[in-house]
Amino acid sequence: MTANQTPPTRVESARARVRELMAPRESGVFLALVIFFVVMYTVSPIFRRPFNLTTILRQISVTSIVAMGQTLVIVSGAFDLSQGSIAGLAAMVTAKLWKNAGLDPPIAIIGGLGVGVLCGFLNGVLAARFRLHPIVMTLATGAVFLGVNFYITRGESIIGLPDGLTWLGKGLIGPVPALIVLMFIVAFLMHILLTRTLFGLRVRMIGGNLKASQDVGMNVERIRVGIFTLSGFLSALGGIVLLGRVGNALPQIGQGLLFPVVTAAIVGGTLLTGGVGSMAGTLIGAAIMGIARNSLVVLQLNIYLQDIVQGMLVVVALLIDQFRRGELNWRIILGRDR
Amino acid sequence: MSIEHAVEMRGISKRFGTVQALNGVDLELRRGELLGLVGDNAAGKSTLMKTLYGSVIPDAGEIFIEGQKAALRNPRDAQALGLAMIYQDLAVFNNLDVAANVFTGREYTRRVLGITFLDKKRMYNESEALLSRLRINISSPKLLVERMSGGQRQMVAVARAIGFDATILIMDEPTAALGVKEANTLLDLMSELRDQGISIILITHRISDVLSIGDRVMVLKGGERQGVLNVEDSTLEDVEYLIVRGRPDGSG
Ligand SMILES: Nc1ncnc2c1ncn2[C@@H]1O[C@H](COP(=O)(O)OP(=O)(O)OP(=O)(O)O)[C@@H](O)[C@H]1O
Ligand SMILES: [Mg+2]
Repeated sequence: MTANQTPPTRVESARARVRELMAPRESGVFLALVIFFVVMYTVSPIFRRPFNLTTILRQISVTSIVAMGQTLVIVSGAFDLSQGSIAGLAAMVTAKLWKNAGLDPPIAIIGGLGVGVLCGFLNGVLAARFRLHPIVMTLATGAVFLGVNFYITRGESIIGLPDGLTWLGKGLIGPVPALIVLMFIVAFLMHILLTRTLFGLRVRMIGGNLKASQDVGMNVERIRVGIFTLSGFLSALGGIVLLGRVGNALPQIGQGLLFPVVTAAIVGGTLLTGGVGSMAGTLIGAAIMGIARNSLVVLQLNIYLQDIVQGMLVVVALLIDQFRRGELNWRIILGRDR
Repeated sequence: MSIEHAVEMRGISKRFGTVQALNGVDLELRRGELLGLVGDNAAGKSTLMKTLYGSVIPDAGEIFIEGQKAALRNPRDAQALGLAMIYQDLAVFNNLDVAANVFTGREYTRRVLGITFLDKKRMYNESEALLSRLRINISSPKLLVERMSGGQRQMVAVARAIGFDATILIMDEPTAALGVKEANTLLDLMSELRDQGISIILITHRISDVLSIGDRVMVLKGGERQGVLNVEDSTLEDVEYLIVRGRPDGSG
């Protein structure tokens, strides 16, 4: 570092930026994404149509938005399994606020986001103050949120949503679908939050070494509450975007969300044990999943392979994760270790 | 109460259930000295240091720091009085870089639009300066601690403590997991710090370490102080005798 006296050139600092954004953990998955993309681009003329590429981005956007919240939670060393239910509840509350309370769409959306914030806050308090185990706790609160959703809607859909409620999922900003823009904005802001702010550092600290964080005297409770609240907010945002993607407000909105969301984070290199993960990685993870799914369609393979592929990708990601942390090596797999 | 003492502990007792971990222990740490604290497993060394660091509240006894009576309810109180304790395992955040570890808990920040951003550049610069002042051999503050050796991690923890303006450093078996070379580098760092005026308490099972860099050595056994020896006029056997047999006459 002493040898580096000359100020860095533009190219050098740009490279440093890229390197920072793509820490070694992400570069592996990024490479996988590029290879996957190039292969599909070459073999399938349908795949490389601009419309198809936009479709992939549209398909991964809700998953990505919600997965940014999950990434934050996992980096802090916890899990939020209630995200799908929060998305559904927020979507339905938004639709009901418009339909039954007669509120303007923007106000109804703010109401729906508020519900997400409230649900997330509740999770946070249960995890932080009452010290409940996040996995089982969010599984339970998720059941409650889903129950509340079906209770207030009696399981009935709300159809004929106004443009104001569907714009986030359906609308365009110039030529670009709004939800794609939204996905990148969320990814950018969450990246800044995790890497550049004191809050983000605290999140990584709690996830990396909880005991040491407590010894330092940081307010772990408040940070936990903040994390789950943000996760609830992003889940609600995802749910509201889904209103537009689906076109109608179905109470079961968000129910299929959790698995792809967790998958995106894991495939993107987020360490399940906490402390390590990035928004760029999660975005890449979501993209890999999106291309995988799209490949089945454009190659005219059986679409039901989707679940199998997705499940296997997670297993592979977990294996890679174990290798990286040195928990696993060929000796162990071959049974030569003890 | 004498002013030459950085720390003075009087009659510290602590019981855990049926275990009397400490029984009326006195300790004096002179300003700018390196005091070894030795004794067999379960002698009470860690517990004594935790009472000094505010992470264990003693049942009885008094603690004076720089001549002032101290009421230590938690490590924050101790840190505010210039103490820093380095545990063997909990010291660092492996998932973060060196600078983040050095500045843990007192990060440089800038507020923009109500959001607290990290001033990374300043932290990198200052931790680099700190590392070179302490002659710690770590090439860049941007290195991830996870990629470092055990000794380097300990040094990061030391740098952090000194960066916090600690004047009294407590180290609990810092060399236990280190190889010979790394342990020696860490011991060198400790003498360097002592020469810069830091008062140090070193808990260790390696008595020869204390005899090579320490000034005095205090022996605990069964939660009681067996004696304090001057390193200059003591041999390894003298210290080991106290550790195993306790004080010869059965009194302080
Ligand atoms: N939190 C605790 N709860 C119950 N017992 C404890 C606790 N901390 C220490 N003890 C007991 O107090 C006694 C002294 O423990 P301490 O850790 O201070 O010993 P030590 O001298 O540091 O030993 P070692 O060299 O093995 O680290 C032991 O019998 C230990 O089991
Ligand atoms: Mg001990």
